[in-house]
Amino acid sequence: MQQYDVKSIIQTSPVAHAQPRESAKWEVVNGMNTAVEFASATIENARKKVLGVADVSCLARYGVKGPNATQWLLERGIAIPTTPNSWTICEQKTLVLRLGSSEFLIEDQLGGSACSRLASDTTRVASVFKVPRADAAFIVSGSEALNLLSELCSLDLREKSLAAKDLIMTQVAGISATLIRQTLNGEPVYRIWCDGTYGPYMWEVLIEIATELGGGAVGLAQYQSS
Amino acid sequence: MKLLTCPMNGTRPLSEFVFGGEYRQAPDQDTCTDAQWAAFVHNRSGAPGDKKEWWYHSPSGTWFIAERNTLTDKVTRTYLLGQNNTTQEEGK
Repeated sequence: MQQYDVKSIIQTSPVAHAQPRESAKWEVVNGMNTAVEFASATIENARKKVLGVADVSCLARYGVKGPNATQWLLERGIAIPTTPNSWTICEQKTLVLRLGSSEFLIEDQLGGSACSRLASDTTRVASVFKVPRADAAFIVSGSEALNLLSELCSLDLREKSLAAKDLIMTQVAGISATLIRQTLNGEPVYRIWCDGTYGPYMWEVLIEIATELGGGAVGLAQYQSS
Repeated sequence: MKLLTCPMNGTRPLSEFVFGGEYRQAPDQDTCTDAQWAAFVHNRSGAPGDKKEWWYHSPSGTWFIAERNTLTDKVTRTYLLGQNNTTQEEGK
């Protein structure tokens, strides 16, 4: 029987089924085949300013929960948000999302290494449980981002309602999703995470509205280069 | 739009929640009679009035208790189990 090394298997973004195979440029990022370019840099830059939707499912993630999860993360040098439903940034390259009193989602931005460090620690600790993550993740940027979200989400996501470090778990386009507002390279963006199996649906919905509002798909390269 | 207040996530549209049935305490299975246990397993009170109910906020996976009058559909308070002294904003 042929043996496979699971570490050598290249994953494909959970969103890929809804993305064009031929017209987009694909690259393997963090072991995941990801669309890095949908159009020329000039076009994508213009979309990004109006309403850009980027698939960032390839970013490394690590989920952990349990009564001792906070202590376990602190011991490994991860900064913890003080209250549930909030987030913080750790080592400038890692998002730490507190999803409840004792559940966390850690996501490395491009260049971050905290997730691989945590994943390599396989020592069993009482009351600390790893949560396997298979999220589809998106960046929604641009001046029309709020208009797009107001069509898909029943909560008020304006700056005065969604504070800088607030995290909300709600339904976006009828799908359970986690949402934050983040400043990325000096530009305010919304980040959305949902279950990976809903990724293609979420992408289609986001792109349909983005196109109507004058924006569109933005490849990961836009965020790799900046 | 009907709203319900999750004790962890705040007031949200009812569409984000799933009803989990009435909160009922099981009789002590070591001391109760067969009739009491059978009544707990098989019988439900359908009479309208103030009820304690399980509700689930699906985007965050939070189970909590809502005290609701099933006649008027008015929710008086919601709380996590074991924290029933914490009054939350009433639902509409």
